[in-house]
Amino acid sequence: MFVAGLDVPSSSATPQSPSPKQQDPFVALAIRLREALTSQRKVAIWQPDKSKTFQVILVDPEVRFPPRKIAPAEDQQFHTPHSPLSPLTPSSPLYPDGLIAPIWIRKHTTLVPSVFVLFKRIYEHPHTSSRTPLDTHDPERDREREAEERRKDSELAAEIAQRKKSTNERSIKLTVVLMASRKMLDDPALDARLTFIRRQSGLDPRAALFVLSPVTSAEIGDFVRSLQEALYEPAIEYYTNHSKRVRRKRNRHSQANVSYQLPLTTIGSTSAQRPLRPEGWTVRYEYKMACFAEFRGEDDIALKHYHDAYSALHIMLGSTAILPPRTKRWAEAKVLADCISVKICKLYLYNNEHAMALAHHSSHMRLFSDLSRGWGIGEETFEFWSWLARQHRVFAELLEQGTRSTLKIPTHLPSPGVASQTQETQRGSLEVEAMRALGLNPTQALQHPGFYYYMAARCTENRRDRYLRALENESSHHASPGFVNERKVDHLSIVLELYTRAYELFKKYSTSSSQSQGRLTLWIAYLIAQTYYESGKFEMAVRFFERIAKTYRREQWDALLRPLLSTWYRCAQHLGDMELSVQLLLEIIGHGPQDDQDDPESLEEDLLAVLKSTVPSSDQVLTVDLTESGPLLDTSAVFWKSHVNVDQAAAFQITLTAPEIISLASLPFTSLLVQFSGDLPSITVQHTAPESDADVSSLQKIDLGDLSTSSSDNEDKDKDIKANLRWRPGDTLILCGNLTSSVPSNMTVSKLVLTLKEGNWNIDLPLHPNSRRSGTIPYPRWLGSLSPVRFIPVHRDNYSFVVVRHRPHVVKVSLSSEGPAYLGEEFPIVIDVTNADDRELDIVVDILLQPTEIEEADNFISVDEERSSSLIKGVEFGVLPPGVNMNKTLYLACSGAVGDRVIDISVQSRSMASVSPTTPVTPQSPSQVADTGETLRTLVVPTVDPITATHHVTYRRSTKPSPGLGDLDTFEGDYWDDAGEAHVVTTMTSVGPSGIFVEGLKLLREDGTYAKVNESTVDQDEDEFLTEWHTGDEFCDQCRISLARLDEPLGGGYIPGPGTYEVSWRRLLPNNQKGSLAKTRFSLPPLKPPSDGLIALLNVPNTAKLHQTIPLQLTIRNGHPTKSANIILQLEPDAVTDGFVVAGIRNGRLPILLPGGEEIIKWNLIPIECGWVKVPKIKVMNRRPPPPSAHGQAHDVEGEGEIVEVVDVRWDGRPEQSVRTSVDVARKSVEVPKVEMHPSDAAQFAAVVLVLP
Amino acid sequence: MAPQLRLNAVAFVSPQNHPILIRTFEQPRQDELKYHYIAHTSLDVIDERIQAATASKSTDCYLGLLYVEDVAVYGYMTPLKVKIIIALELSDSIVRDADVVAIFKALHTAYRRSVANPFLRLNVPTENVTDHSILVSAGNSRWQAFRKRVDEIGRAVGGFQ
Repeated sequence: MFVAGLDVPSSSATPQSPSPKQQDPFVALAIRLREALTSQRKVAIWQPDKSKTFQVILVDPEVRFPPRKIAPAEDQQFHTPHSPLSPLTPSSPLYPDGLIAPIWIRKHTTLVPSVFVLFKRIYEHPHTSSRTPLDTHDPERDREREAEERRKDSELAAEIAQRKKSTNERSIKLTVVLMASRKMLDDPALDARLTFIRRQSGLDPRAALFVLSPVTSAEIGDFVRSLQEALYEPAIEYYTNHSKRVRRKRNRHSQANVSYQLPLTTIGSTSAQRPLRPEGWTVRYEYKMACFAEFRGEDDIALKHYHDAYSALHIMLGSTAILPPRTKRWAEAKVLADCISVKICKLYLYNNEHAMALAHHSSHMRLFSDLSRGWGIGEETFEFWSWLARQHRVFAELLEQGTRSTLKIPTHLPSPGVASQTQETQRGSLEVEAMRALGLNPTQALQHPGFYYYMAARCTENRRDRYLRALENESSHHASPGFVNERKVDHLSIVLELYTRAYELFKKYSTSSSQSQGRLTLWIAYLIAQTYYESGKFEMAVRFFERIAKTYRREQWDALLRPLLSTWYRCAQHLGDMELSVQLLLEIIGHGPQDDQDDPESLEEDLLAVLKSTVPSSDQVLTVDLTESGPLLDTSAVFWKSHVNVDQAAAFQITLTAPEIISLASLPFTSLLVQFSGDLPSITVQHTAPESDADVSSLQKIDLGDLSTSSSDNEDKDKDIKANLRWRPGDTLILCGNLTSSVPSNMTVSKLVLTLKEGNWNIDLPLHPNSRRSGTIPYPRWLGSLSPVRFIPVHRDNYSFVVVRHRPHVVKVSLSSEGPAYLGEEFPIVIDVTNADDRELDIVVDILLQPTEIEEADNFISVDEERSSSLIKGVEFGVLPPGVNMNKTLYLACSGAVGDRVIDISVQSRSMASVSPTTPVTPQSPSQVADTGETLRTLVVPTVDPITATHHVTYRRSTKPSPGLGDLDTFEGDYWDDAGEAHVVTTMTSVGPSGIFVEGLKLLREDGTYAKVNESTVDQDEDEFLTEWHTGDEFCDQCRISLARLDEPLGGGYIPGPGTYEVSWRRLLPNNQKGSLAKTRFSLPPLKPPSDGLIALLNVPNTAKLHQTIPLQLTIRNGHPTKSANIILQLEPDAVTDGFVVAGIRNGRLPILLPGGEEIIKWNLIPIECGWVKVPKIKVMNRRPPPPSAHGQAHDVEGEGEIVEVVDVRWDGRPEQSVRTSVDVARKSVEVPKVEMHPSDAAQFAAVVLVLP
Repeated sequence: MAPQLRLNAVAFVSPQNHPILIRTFEQPRQDELKYHYIAHTSLDVIDERIQAATASKSTDCYLGLLYVEDVAVYGYMTPLKVKIIIALELSDSIVRDADVVAIFKALHTAYRRSVANPFLRLNVPTENVTDHSILVSAGNSRWQAFRKRVDEIGRAVGGFQ
C-alpha cells in the first residue's frame, strides 16, 4: 500500500521566513511534526500491516505535479488525450508498443500524492502592550487589527486557493493545517476567520482545515493519527477513482478491440513499428489496477489483477510474433513478468499462503524455462542460469526481508500424525491415517531463505560453467552484447556472496548447531571453500577444509572426504606447503582410491615425486597422524590368552596388512617401532630388502623374541631385527613374540610407528595397534602355521590386551560344627585354615553374621575375645608357613525364634614375599599390586529349640465362703480374695537331635496381684530328674496356683503366669563332653479363670460311716455382676434306693440373692446303706427369667425359671473359658486340652458318697 | 491415482552417523557424490526432527519431508536408530506420506534381512554382537544381497506408474 506525498511546507518554510520572536515554538513544532510524520512509515519491501498510515514525502508548498494528459498536437485523430507515459504518446519512452515503465510507479509513489496536506501559519496580530487597564478599548486599533487580519487571511486564502486549483485538477484532496499560538485558539474571532479562509479558498467543508498550536510530541502523535484517520478515506477514494478510470478504459478497450486494432495494424505494417497489441493493453491496465489496489491495501484484489496481468504477459511472451525475442520490448516484458511474479509471491506470503507462493515461484521458473528454450537461451546458456539465479535470489531476499518482520517459515514437521496426535488422540487412528494419506507436495514446502540463496549460488555456478564453456569456443562465437556483458561479471564473488548469505541463514535456522557444527552448514562451507579455491584464495580454502574435514573424518564419510582432500591437496600444492601436501597425500592413500580412479599407483607416485623433488621446511621429523582418518595399514595386535600369571610369558602377534586396493610397495619405509605398555621395552624393526623378489611371500613372520619388564639391560635387547617393510597390495607382516611381566598389570601393544625416509624427508606414521579401515569389521586371528598358512580366529572380546596377575593362593578352609544349634547356647563352629601354597601366607579372617529377619532374634558371634552382633573383622590367624594349618572356634549364640542363621567367612591371604617391610599393607588398603587372595565360605546354621513345653490348665472354684460385703478384712493390704485355684500341668520335651544334660530345674515364682504359685512338684525330689534328657524324653510338673478375685476385667483378659521354669542344661557333645551351660526358660501360661453366673456348689464328704451323720452343704453364689437371683430349692430323695435319711429343708425358697451374694444351706444326712450311695438330688432354680441366650432354657419348660448348675466341689475342674480368642501366648506353645462338659450334664450329675459299715 | 514417485537415491546411515550404504538410481548414473552430500546434510534435519519427536514423545519412525533442493528428501529412523534417507525427484504433485512410508518400510525390511545374515558375524569376536561396525559392514561391497534388495525396491518404485 502506497500513499503518495504529503507536504509539510511549514517545516521547510519556517526557517526561511522566521519571525524572530516567535520562531522557537513553531520551529520546534514543525520539526516534531516532520519526525512524527516521516518516522511512522518507512518504504520497505515487506509491508504486510494495514494500519491507516501514509507514506509521507516532504515537498515544497509550490511543488509542481508531473504533466497530466496532453492531447497530441499533431494528431487530432484521437479524441482522448494521453498521459506522457502512454505508449500512444510519441514522446513517451513506451511509444509505440511498450507495456509500462518503472517511471509510472515512481510517478504514483513519489510524484503524485493522494492527499495533500498544507501547513500554514495563521496571521496573529502582535500584541505589544495589550491588556493594560488604560487602553482596554481602543476601537481604532481594533479596527486596524481587524483590517490587517482580514488582509492577511485573504492572502492566505488566495494562496490556498492557488494550491487547491492544482490539486483539484488531479482530484487530490487538499487539507490545510493552520498553525496558531495557544492564545490564538482562545480568540473568539478565530472561528469567523477560519470560516472566511475556508470559504475564500474553496476548501472542502469536511476534513480540510485543521488548526494546530505548538504542543508536546505525544500530542503531535495524536494529531498525526487523527489527521491520517480523517484523510485515509479520501486517499482510498482517490485510488478507487483511478482504478475505476482504468477499468473503464480496459472495458472499453476490450469491447472496441477489433475495430480499434485494424487501422493500427495497417499503420504498424508500414512504419515497421507495431503499436501495442490488445494483450499488451490488458497487461497494462491489469497492472495499473493491481498497483492501485495495492495502494489501497486491498491485497486480494491486487493479487487477482497481478495474476491477470501475469497470465496475459505469459501469452504475449509465448508468441514470438507478438514479442520477438532479444528485442528491447521483449526484455522489458521479461523483467516485468519477473517483477509481477515476485509481487504475487509476496502477496501470497502476506496472506500466509506459503505453498501457493512457492508454487507460483516454481511454476514461474518452469514456465519461463520452457519459454527460454524457445528463445534460444535454454539450459545450455549462461543467460538462462543467470536469470534462474536471479529468480532464486530475489525470492530468497524477499523471504529474508519477510522473516525480519512478520513472515514465519512454516515447519514441515514430522508428518501430520505427530502434530495431530497430541490434540486428537481421541479421534482415533483412522483419522490420523487419513491425514497421513494426504501428504504434501514437496515443491510447495516453503523453506528458509538460505535454501534459495543456495539455489541461486548453484545456478550462478552453472552460469559460470556455461560462460567458461562459451569462452572456450569464443572464436566460433560472435561476441554478442550479452557475452560482452558477461565477461565483466565476477561470477565467483557473486557465488561467494550467495553462499555466504546462505551459510549465515543456515546457521541461523539450524537448531542443532549449538552442539556440533551443523552438517548443512558444513556442506555450504565446503562449497564456499571450493569457490575460494576456484577464485585462487587457497589459504581461505585451506582454513575451511581443515574445519570441515574434522566432522567428515569423525563420521567416516569417505565419499565426501575424497573430493575434499583432493581439492585441499591442490590448494596445498598451490600454496607450496609441502608438509601439508605430504600429509594430505598420505591421508588420500589411506582412504584408498576412488572407485572410478583406475590407477592405484598414481597416488603413490605422486607422493614419491613430491618427496623426491622437494625438501621439508624444517629438519624436524614430520609426524602424520592418520589414526583419526583411514590408516595406511590394517593392524591388529592379538594376545593368545586373556590372563597370565606373573612371570608367565604371554604370546602375541601383531599383524600389519596392506589393503588390497592400493599400492604401497614403493614407499620407502625404513623402520617400524613397536611400543608396549608399562615398562616393557620397545622394539624397532629395521627394513631390509629381500635378496631377490622371488622369495618374498605375501606373508612374513618375524619373531621379536621374549620381552620382559625384568630385563633391565635393554641395550642388548636392541638386537637387529630386520624385516621387509614393503607392502604390496594385500601383503601381511606378522610380528610375534612373548611378553613377560613381573608385576600384575595389563599388557598391551600401545603404539606402532612407521618411519618413512626419503631424501631430507623424515616422516613418522603412528599407527593404532588395532585399527581397520572404515566399513570393515575387526577380524582378529592368530597365525597358526606358516606352511600351509592357517589362521585361527580369536573369539574373544578383549583380545588386544592381556591381564597379568599373581598366582592365586591355595588356601584350604574347612568349617566344622555339630548339627543344628540350640537356642540359648553358644554354638561352637571350628574354622580350620590350611596353607596349601608354597608361599608363606598371612591369614586374616573376617566373619560376618548376616542380619536375619527372624523375630526377636538377638544373635551374636564371638571369636577369641571379640563379640559382635554382625561383623568381626581381622581375626588374625598369623603367618602360616606352607603346609601348616590352624583353627579357631567361632561361637554363635542365638536367641529368639528358630530358623537359619547365616555366617559369611572371608579368609584373606597375603603373600609375605610381596610385602615390603616399610609399608605393611593392611587388608583394607586397596593396593592393586599387593599379592592377596581371598577364600569365601558361607555357613548356614539351622537353629532349633532344645526343649519345648506344653501346659494344661484346669480351674477349681473356691470352697471358702465369700466374705461379706462389709467385711473389714477385705480392706487389708495383704488380703487374698480367694477365687479358686488353677492347676497347671507342664510337660517339657527334649526335642533337639542331640541330648542335653539338665543341671537344674527351678520354678521361679513371680507372684502377681491376681495369681500366686501355691506349690509345685519341682520343689520336691529335685535329684530325680537331673539327668540326661534324650530326644523325646518328657518331664512333667504340676503346680497349683491360687487365684484372687478380679476387681475388674483384665485388659487382655489374661492373668500373666505367676512364675517361670528355668532349665539349666548343657549340650551333650559326641565325645562325652558337655557343652557350655545354657538356660532355657518357660514361663507359666497366662491364666484366664472362667467366671460363673449363678452357681451352686455341693460339698459332701467322700466317705461316711453307716448311721453316722454327714453334713451336706450347698453354697449358692450369685456371681452375676448386676442381677439378683430368686432361688427355689428342692431336694428330691431317691425314691427307689433311699440310702440316706435327710434332715433339712426339702423344698423352699431362699431370700433374694443380691449380685455377689452367697447363701449356704446345710443338711444332715444319715446313711442307712453301705456302698456307693447317691446323695439325694438337689434341684436349684432361679425364678428370675434368664436372658434368652442363657443355658438351660430347654429345662425351663414349666416357665418356672432357670435351673442352676450344681457342682460337686470334689470333682470341680474346668478348662479355660472356651470363648478365649487366639491370643498369642508367648512363644511357648500352651496346649490346653478342652474338656467339653455340658452344664446340663453336670446338673444331672449326682454326687456319690462311699458309705462304709 | 498413485502419483509417480521417482526414487533417485537411498541412503542408510548408522546410529553413529556413519554411512552404511548409499545407492543412486538416477539414469544415467551421475552425480553420485551429490547424494552423499544430501544424505549427510539430511542428518542435521533428522537430528532436529528427533529432538522435536522426543519432545512430543512421538514414537513414529517416519520423519517426513526433510528438505527440498532439486530433489525432495525424506527421512525415516528405525527403532534401533538406523536412519534411512531417500531422495525423490521433484514433480509438481502431492506426495502422499503413506506412499513414502511404504517405501521406507520396504527399505527397512531389506536392511533388517541383510543385517540378520549370520555370515556377517563370521569370525567376529562373539562378545562383539552389538558392535555397530557390523551394522555398517552390511553395506560393504562384499555383501551383494543388500544392494540387490535395495536396487529391487528402487526399480519397483520407479516402475510404480
